[in-house]
Amino acid sequence: MADIAVQGLSKVYQSRAHPDGLLALDNVDLAVADHEFVCLLGPSGCGKTTVLNVLSGLEQKYAGEVSVAGRLVSRRNGHSFRVGYVFQEPRLLPWLTVRGNIEFALESESIPGSEWRKRTDNWLNRVGLADFAESHPHELSGGMQQRTAIARAFAVDPEMLLMDEPFSGLDELTARTMRELLLALWLETRKTVIFVTHNCFEACFLADRIVVFSPRPGKIRKEVTVELARPRNYEDSRLFELSVSVTHYVTGKQAA
Amino acid sequence: MQQGGERVAIVTERAFPLQQPSKLRWLRIPEAYSIRIASLVVLAIVWQLASLAFTERYVPGPVSTFSALWDLATSGQLMKHFEVTMIRMLVSFALAMLVGMAIGTVMGLYRRAEQSLDLIVMVGLTIPGLCYIIVAFMWLGLNDRAAVLAIAWTTFPAIAINIWQGVKAIDQRLIDMARVFGASGWRRTVRVVIPQVLPYLMAAARFGLGIIWKVTVLVELLGRSDGIGYMLNYSFQMFNMADVFAWTIFFTIVMLAIELTILKPIERRMFLWRPEIRA
Repeated sequence: MADIAVQGLSKVYQSRAHPDGLLALDNVDLAVADHEFVCLLGPSGCGKTTVLNVLSGLEQKYAGEVSVAGRLVSRRNGHSFRVGYVFQEPRLLPWLTVRGNIEFALESESIPGSEWRKRTDNWLNRVGLADFAESHPHELSGGMQQRTAIARAFAVDPEMLLMDEPFSGLDELTARTMRELLLALWLETRKTVIFVTHNCFEACFLADRIVVFSPRPGKIRKEVTVELARPRNYEDSRLFELSVSVTHYVTGKQAA
Repeated sequence: MQQGGERVAIVTERAFPLQQPSKLRWLRIPEAYSIRIASLVVLAIVWQLASLAFTERYVPGPVSTFSALWDLATSGQLMKHFEVTMIRMLVSFALAMLVGMAIGTVMGLYRRAEQSLDLIVMVGLTIPGLCYIIVAFMWLGLNDRAAVLAIAWTTFPAIAINIWQGVKAIDQRLIDMARVFGASGWRRTVRVVIPQVLPYLMAAARFGLGIIWKVTVLVELLGRSDGIGYMLNYSFQMFNMADVFAWTIFFTIVMLAIELTILKPIERRMFLWRPEIRA
């Protein structure tokens, strides 16, 4: 696990539609403590995902400095630490079984083969997919596929967990179950989590701290510390009130 | 976990809604086989009836066809010409696959290559194989080099187009996933990219073989003095209908054998995970 420091991060996308470049992130400073659960909240296209891509090493052209656990993220060689990433879509390899998909990640992270079985069984058990280890992704529902992706992210024992709107493609009831599952796993492991979402209620339910982004170019508009005790309850009226005020920060209706 | 609820969901929200439940799959296979066998039997009966109606001279029946085939086999002619044809086919197939894969991959990867090559490949696909064959024989002489080149040339555009589509269909998101989890470039290629292209490669090989069967006999008819195509022409010159039928039947049996003993098993093993592909 690790703390994360982002300083002066800017990103310009060059494309045919924008030959002069499109400023996606403008001088973003962000510090995340070890074991902290931070939500990046903002409308679509505000550069939240870009932050994750820089941290994970997918994005290598940017201005600014990013360090994880005190080590600078190398632009050329990617990262020297383990990342667990849950994407918006499950992104499972369709020709591998659920077990094969998790083992693919373990193998890629150079985790010794002797540990694969134990780790995979353990995490599949925890996400409730013990009976589906030998199933292929297409045999699972969307929620189960996303659980596989979560098990995969935790199974590599990541130093940081990056999540990019992982529940936005699920129906609300499944998403709720998944949020509770995620929080249960997080309370057990206390991984450093950066969770991107455009859902204010979700952010309030999950996060220790919410970082609100403004629309393009992405800038940090406001930071909100969520004081609600854990475990949290969906029916809690304070959660609802908080999400209303956070929504105002996002839409910009209320002066920050 | 609410596993009960999720299990119900398996039945209703599948990623591939067209697939059949697996129970039906096992019931269907014998049925499919019996229908096929029945259709072959019907074909043989119609063949025999046609032979009776139009006389053996114009439509040799199954019996005289297979006895002609037997004579060809025992005289050693069958194996001799079959071998020559197979070698020509395999060499040109390898050549066409190599060139087609290289061009298709480059076209799939680079927009510039795509723009400069797509029309050429399309034109290459539309020009009749006969034109390539004649030109190759006129340039290089009536030899096997020209034969193989003409066959490969006729075949590679179809292969290139399939590979091109396959490379374009590669899901970058899966590659990114592998990168995030630390997979090296080699592992990403072998474990993530190639498996995505394999179905297209398989289709390319199928297409390629289909074309090669037809072109090879044509090449042999036009410019070689051995091989099945040459023998078909020879039987034609002799107006030996039974031999024409015998060579055709033999060719069909070889094609089916390759399909059933090589292509289908490879495909089945490769795509075991995919529910929609059935034998």
